[in-house]
Amino acid sequence: MLLSCTVNGEKIEKEIDPAKRLLDFLRDDMGLTGVKEGCSEGECGACTVILDNQAVTSCTVYAGQVMDREILTIEGLEKNGELDILQKAFIENGAIQCGFCTPGMILSCRALLMEKPNPTREEIKRAIEGNLCRCTGYEKIIKAVECAVKGEVQ
Amino acid sequence: MKELKYVGKRLIREDVYDKARGKTQYTCDRKLEGMLYAKLVLSEKALAEISINTDKAEQVPGICAVYTHKDVPKTKYNPHNWTPGVGAPEDMYILSEKARYVGDHLALVVGETKEAVEEAASLVEIVYREETPVIGLKAARENKENIAFEKESRCGDFGSLPLENLIVEETAGSTQAIHHAPIEPHIALSAIDETGNLVVWTPCQTVFMVRYHICSLLDVPYTKVRVVKAVMGGSFGGKGLSVVEPACAFASWTLKRPVMLYMDRPADITATRRRNPSEMTVKTAVDKDGKILGRFIACDFDGGAYYTNASAIAMAFSKKLFRLYRIENQTIEARTFYTNTTPGGSCRGYGSPQAHAVTEVNLDQIADRLGMDPCELRLKNVVLPGDDDPAGGTNLGDARIRECILKGMEEFHWKEKRAHIREKNTDRYAYGVGMACATHGNGYKGGYPELTNVYAQLHPDGSAEFRIAVHDQGCGTVMTMQQIGAEALHMDPYKIKVYEADTFLSPYDSAGTQASRVTYVCGRAVQEAGEALLEKIKNAAAAVYGWEKNRIEAEDGMLKYPGTDREECRTYGEVSKEYEKKFSRYLHADIEYEPDSNPGVYCAAFAEVKVDKYTGQTEVLDLLAVHDVGQCMNYTLSEGQIEGGAQMSLGQALFEEIGYDGKGNVKSRNFSKYHMINAPDMPKVRSLFIEEHNTDGPYGAKSLGEVVAVAPGPAVANAVNFAIGSRFASYPITPEKVVLWLENKEKE
Repeated sequence: MLLSCTVNGEKIEKEIDPAKRLLDFLRDDMGLTGVKEGCSEGECGACTVILDNQAVTSCTVYAGQVMDREILTIEGLEKNGELDILQKAFIENGAIQCGFCTPGMILSCRALLMEKPNPTREEIKRAIEGNLCRCTGYEKIIKAVECAVKGEVQ
Repeated sequence: MKELKYVGKRLIREDVYDKARGKTQYTCDRKLEGMLYAKLVLSEKALAEISINTDKAEQVPGICAVYTHKDVPKTKYNPHNWTPGVGAPEDMYILSEKARYVGDHLALVVGETKEAVEEAASLVEIVYREETPVIGLKAARENKENIAFEKESRCGDFGSLPLENLIVEETAGSTQAIHHAPIEPHIALSAIDETGNLVVWTPCQTVFMVRYHICSLLDVPYTKVRVVKAVMGGSFGGKGLSVVEPACAFASWTLKRPVMLYMDRPADITATRRRNPSEMTVKTAVDKDGKILGRFIACDFDGGAYYTNASAIAMAFSKKLFRLYRIENQTIEARTFYTNTTPGGSCRGYGSPQAHAVTEVNLDQIADRLGMDPCELRLKNVVLPGDDDPAGGTNLGDARIRECILKGMEEFHWKEKRAHIREKNTDRYAYGVGMACATHGNGYKGGYPELTNVYAQLHPDGSAEFRIAVHDQGCGTVMTMQQIGAEALHMDPYKIKVYEADTFLSPYDSAGTQASRVTYVCGRAVQEAGEALLEKIKNAAAAVYGWEKNRIEAEDGMLKYPGTDREECRTYGEVSKEYEKKFSRYLHADIEYEPDSNPGVYCAAFAEVKVDKYTGQTEVLDLLAVHDVGQCMNYTLSEGQIEGGAQMSLGQALFEEIGYDGKGNVKSRNFSKYHMINAPDMPKVRSLFIEEHNTDGPYGAKSLGEVVAVAPGPAVANAVNFAIGSRFASYPITPEKVVLWLENKEKE
C-alpha cells in the first residue's frame, strides 16, 4: 500500500507492506535507528514512539495502521539543533547509562508531558511503567522528568 | 588528603549527548556494504540426539548458507576461559552435535535479509531422539556423574567445635536462575577488512577473550583477528562470556562477507548464560554473646549443560564467605552439577548474591534466637581493617563494614524503626525492617593473572589520550577513567580521550571488564600512566625552556614557572610541539601495571517493607545502601550503580526467575513472563558512602559495580521475615509463597 503519514514533522509517502511492523518501517525504511528493539512483544518499551500524542510500542503496531497519522521518534525531538528539555534533563541528571532504553524512555515521558505538563511523581512512574531499564533503577530518570517539569535544566 | 579537583565530581559523561538524541550507533544500528544477517536455530528439546535437514531452508530466496555441526570446526572451547591459562574444560562447539538444553545452538542461518533469515530459520527441520533430561539440582544429585566440580574450602576445624554446648542455627535456602536482562539483546558484527583481517565488533566485556576463542576455533593467528568493543546496551555479566561471537566470526570468515548475528529476547533468555541457581544449607555456631565460633556451608550450584564457569562459580562463592565476618572455624563444601538447562556464566556479583542470600538470613535467625538486634550481632563479628583472609586469600585491606553498619543504623533510624515498625500493622498489612551486609572483591589478584597496560600520549593541540582495554558497559567507565587521567595530569577531563578496548589498538589486559577490577586495577594504572606522563611533560619543559624541574607547577593543562620577572606559563600543547621540534621526541608514557592487593569492598543495606497479607505481595517502601568505596569517582555515576544494582537485587528477592518445566522447557521466555522490576515497583534508593581514601586503587578508591547487587535482596528477605514472622531463605519470595506460608501458619 501507499502509506502517507507524518514522521518527525515531515509528510512522507512510501510504498510499504502494511503487515510490516511500525518498528521495522521506522528503522529500516526511514533510517530512524533511535527506535530500539528489546523484546518484540511490547513489554520492554525500548521501541516506544509517539503516535498522535500517545506513546506506543512500535513493535506492536503495523505500518498499515499509521495512515494519515503523526509519528514522533527520538530523532524528531530536538528543534533547530536545540535539545528538548527532557533530553537535557536526562543528560544532566545521570538518567542515561547504557542508553538502550533511553529513546523509548524519553518519548514515554514526552507523551506524558504533552498530556499533563505538571505530573506528580506517581504519574511519572506510571508513564514509564512499560519501559524497562536494567541500569538505573529508574530513580534518576524520574528525577530528570521532575527537573524538566520544574524547569531546573541548564 | 590532598583535595581532588576532578575525581569525585559529578561530571557529565560525554556519550550521553548522542544517546539522548538516538544518534549512538549500537551494533544493531550498523549496516555494512554487502552485509548478511545471521540467526541461530535453537534446540527445542533439553536432551536429544539430532538429525537436521536444511534443504527447505536453503531454498529460501536470499539464503547464503545454513550451517550445522558438520560444517563448523571440530574444535571445542569453553566460553568462560578468558585466557588460555584459565584452563577450564572445553566442551562446547560453535554448533552442537547434540541437543543438551532448550536453547542449545544447533544451526546457523545466513542470508541477505532478516526476512529471509527468519523464514529459513523456521524451515530448518530438526528430528529429535529424546533422552531423559536432568532438570534441576534434585535430579542432578541422583547421579554422581553429573558433578562437574567440587571443592572444600576451610579454615580452622568446624568439626572439633563442641556444638552441643553452643547455639547452632541451621538455615536451608536457595537462589533462582536469573536473566541478566540487558535491554540490548546479544549481537555481533563481523567483516573482513581491506587487508584480509577478520574484524569483529561486539558489545563484550573482554576483547582479548573473544579473540582467543575465535582464533582457537578458526585456527587463525591472534595477529589476524581484530576484536573491537562496540557500544554496549547493557551486560550485567551476560555478555561477559563469548556467546554469539564465534558463530558470527565463523560465518563471516567462511563467506568472506560482513555478517550480523542477532538474537531476540527469547534467545537471550534461553540460549546465552544465566546466574547459576544454588541450593545451600548454612549451619552457624555462636556463643551466648553472639560471637560466631564456626560455620558450615554446603552449597550446590546448577551449572547447566556445559562446563563454562562450573569451577569459577563454586570458588567465587566460597571465597567471599571468609571475608565478611571473623569466623575462625569454617568449612564450605561447594559443588557444581551438569544439568540440561542454560549454561551458567558471569552475572553481576558473581557468587556473592548466592552467598549472602542465605547466610544473611541465617544471621537474622541467630539474632532472633539470642534476642539480639541483628545489627549488634553483626557488629560483634564483622571483619576490621587490616584483617587477613583466614582461608589464604588476599588481605582485606581497609575493610569498613563496621562503619557501613553504624552509619546505616543512624541514617535509617534503625533501632527506632525496629522497635516500632509493627505498630503500623493493620489487619491487611504487615510492616517490617531488615538489613543485610555483603562483600565483594577488587579484581583477580590472588586468583588469576591480573595485569593491565596503558599507553598514554599528550598531543600538540593539548589533548591527551589513554589507550587501555576498558569496556564501558554503560556504567560510565570511560568518564571515570577521564576523571582519573585528569586528576593525574592536572588537565580538563573533556580534553582526554579514553579509547575503549580494541585488540589492534589497545595494549594487553589480562582479564577485561569483569571481576570488579576496572576502577581498582585499570583506574590505578591510568593514574600511574597520567603521573608518568606529567613527569615527562615537566622534563620536556625543563629541557626546552631551561627550567628547574622541581619548581614547575602544573594546573589546568598549563605548566607554570616562577621566572625572574614574572611567572612564565606554557600549555602542555606548546611543550609537546617544542619538544618534538627540538629533541625529536613525542610525549608519551607506557605503563604495565599489576596491583599489589585485592581488598574487600563492603555494603550494608537497610530495607522497610509492607507485606499485603491478602495478596502476598511485598512492597519495598525504603531502601538505604551504605557502601565502603574508599573514594567515590563520580557521585552521579556511583548512585546510578547503587540504584541499578538494587533493582537487580530486589528483583532476585521478590520477582525474577527463569522457570523450567520438568522437560526443561523455559516458562519465562520473554518479559511478559519474566518479571523485571519496573518504575512503580521500585523504591527510592538512598546511597551513602564511607570514604576513607585508604586503598591501592586510584586516589584511594575501591570497586562498586558488583557489590551493589548483593545486599538489598537479603535485607528485604529479613524485613519480610521480621514483618510476618516467616523464615524465607528461598528466592524469589513471591506472593504465592507468602500466601501459602500465611495459610499454613493459620492452620497451626
